[in-house]
Amino acid sequence: MSEKDLHAKFQRLPATVREKVDATLADAKIALKLRVAEVLADEEMAEHAVTTAGRIGAKSGEVSELTIILPLKPNGAERLRKFFKLVGGNLAGAGQVGTLHNMRFVFLDNDTKLLFATAFDGEWDPYIDDFATKIPEFMDYLFSNVEGWPGITSPDVKDFIVKYQIPAEAWFVSHPNLTVAEAHRLKRQEAAVQRFLTDLN
Amino acid sequence: MSVFRRLRRPPTLDLDDIQATLLRARPEPYFGTHAILEITEPAAGRELLRRLAPRVTSAARWDEPRPSWLALALSYQGLVALGVPEESLASFPANFRAGMAARAERLRDTGVNAPERWEFPFGTPRVHAAVTVYAASEDDWRAEVAAYEKELGEVPGVRLLSHQDFAADGFNVFGYRDGFSQPVVEGSGAEPLPGDGRPIKAGEFVLGHPSETGVPLPVPTPDVLGRNGTYVVFRKYHSHVAAFNKWLHDNARTEAERELLAAKLVGRWRSGAPLALAPERDNPAIGENPNKINDFDYAADPRGLQTPLGSHIRRMNPRDTKLTVLSDVNIRRIIRRGTSYGTPLPPDRLKDDGTSRGLDFIALGARAIDNVEFLQSEWVGSGNFMGLGKEKDPMISLQDKGAYFTVPGTPPRRVQNIQSFNTLLGGEYFFMPSLSAIRWLSGT
Repeated sequence: MSEKDLHAKFQRLPATVREKVDATLADAKIALKLRVAEVLADEEMAEHAVTTAGRIGAKSGEVSELTIILPLKPNGAERLRKFFKLVGGNLAGAGQVGTLHNMRFVFLDNDTKLLFATAFDGEWDPYIDDFATKIPEFMDYLFSNVEGWPGITSPDVKDFIVKYQIPAEAWFVSHPNLTVAEAHRLKRQEAAVQRFLTDLN
Repeated sequence: MSVFRRLRRPPTLDLDDIQATLLRARPEPYFGTHAILEITEPAAGRELLRRLAPRVTSAARWDEPRPSWLALALSYQGLVALGVPEESLASFPANFRAGMAARAERLRDTGVNAPERWEFPFGTPRVHAAVTVYAASEDDWRAEVAAYEKELGEVPGVRLLSHQDFAADGFNVFGYRDGFSQPVVEGSGAEPLPGDGRPIKAGEFVLGHPSETGVPLPVPTPDVLGRNGTYVVFRKYHSHVAAFNKWLHDNARTEAERELLAAKLVGRWRSGAPLALAPERDNPAIGENPNKINDFDYAADPRGLQTPLGSHIRRMNPRDTKLTVLSDVNIRRIIRRGTSYGTPLPPDRLKDDGTSRGLDFIALGARAIDNVEFLQSEWVGSGNFMGLGKEKDPMISLQDKGAYFTVPGTPPRRVQNIQSFNTLLGGEYFFMPSLSAIRWLSGT
């Protein structure tokens, strides 16, 4: 497409979108401006709109992100590694929480820091109180390797997490309205449909 | 069904120091008043507390009938207006300090429920103290109110902002029995009734005692201020009974069908009899029997074929329902002291008569504020915790346009256009101090 065609195509997009793109990407080539403007003008954008996950963090539809980098105690990484090795890096037990899409633990800076990143449904703090009475031993075992961990039953635990949380600047989820619970339901539904088709023939 | 809980064991809690409302059941019938006060001078506020202190009833002998009692609670702005030291103020939880209006996003109080639309004085920083009178007869109610009003009248510097009377016979304005499901507080001495579940640790309801975590929840300082106190969430709702009746008429042909559809929303029939025990039709003998009315669980009904997963009572107290999100139902219990105001509207009335009627939702507990915020966002305003997607509580949520309710079955029935049958007129977070804390606050 010629530069002229690109400009013409750009001009056909809503003025509000063009203004925003012109203001932020003034020095970009028209091809890039057009690409970004088309994404912004897409109605599908609304479904992926990024809002706030309560106190801190980004949320797209129902799915939120949480990234924390925590200082580890001496030998903290070693102890955690032993645990992760014991389970073969498999944290399937976390499925019982019911809101976790995924999570990862990464050691940084010569094992002095722990990166914990997760995608989950809703806001993160409503259920912390439930963790404190349902799985306190697990939470404390994992995080007692972290410098200053106040304990899962401490009233300061939410503030502690917020202190180390780094909110994402951008956040994308392919199915923003598909919670873990909804995915389970769809899987059951799909199994029923497949059974029905098999029985039908 | 008036006084149906008995004292079985000697109480271990300091009942003389705890306010009556925490343990004393609402009588039937009941009469009363909620008054909201503004303290314009700290000294006047302290003077009023000094005068009211002897009238604030303790929980001692909560199991015995009493003609009337008075409860007193203070908002964060009220504590500020009383001149409570900064160090104490800072020891209260952040959501209490912010006040209910500031927590609208968390409470899902948007649209018609938004604080900008609340009635005066709710949502303003002038709501400082709440005085509630509960009474078992009209005469006792008037006498108790007159006594408190006399004290109020003699203290310039404290202003009455609103005065709301209430009265009912144990049935709400929709015509349903209410107020009978309460957690058993450990240490209160209360006899658990069938279906009540195990006693819940006292610290879930009374500050300064071990909670379900094994340790006390945070207590405001100094100890004399915080200990034996609790939090109160007050939310005044207007009930759209005609809209409820009309929705039932639009979606069911006979009276029997309408009553069943309504029971599917609530989880109980009008008598209070639960669908779990009376799946086909109402059974008033169960509703009238305190040993029967809560004597059920959901073990035999995992799919909600009798009691829908999304019904009001199953959301508010899921009992043994397997939830899709890891939750501890024992820390989400609240003591309910809600009151109905205005006259009920019979089920055959489909047009709004313009009358003011509804429900003052009142929840007490050490976690009451956290729990109401949790309930509003997770168990009322969403269906995800039960695997119900975006379906909301059919009785107390703010419904979106085009919302529906699913009645489980083979096939399930999806009933369209469910409305917001209760909308919010206002509310506030309060702290209900112990009797010794009231004396401390009054400076004596």
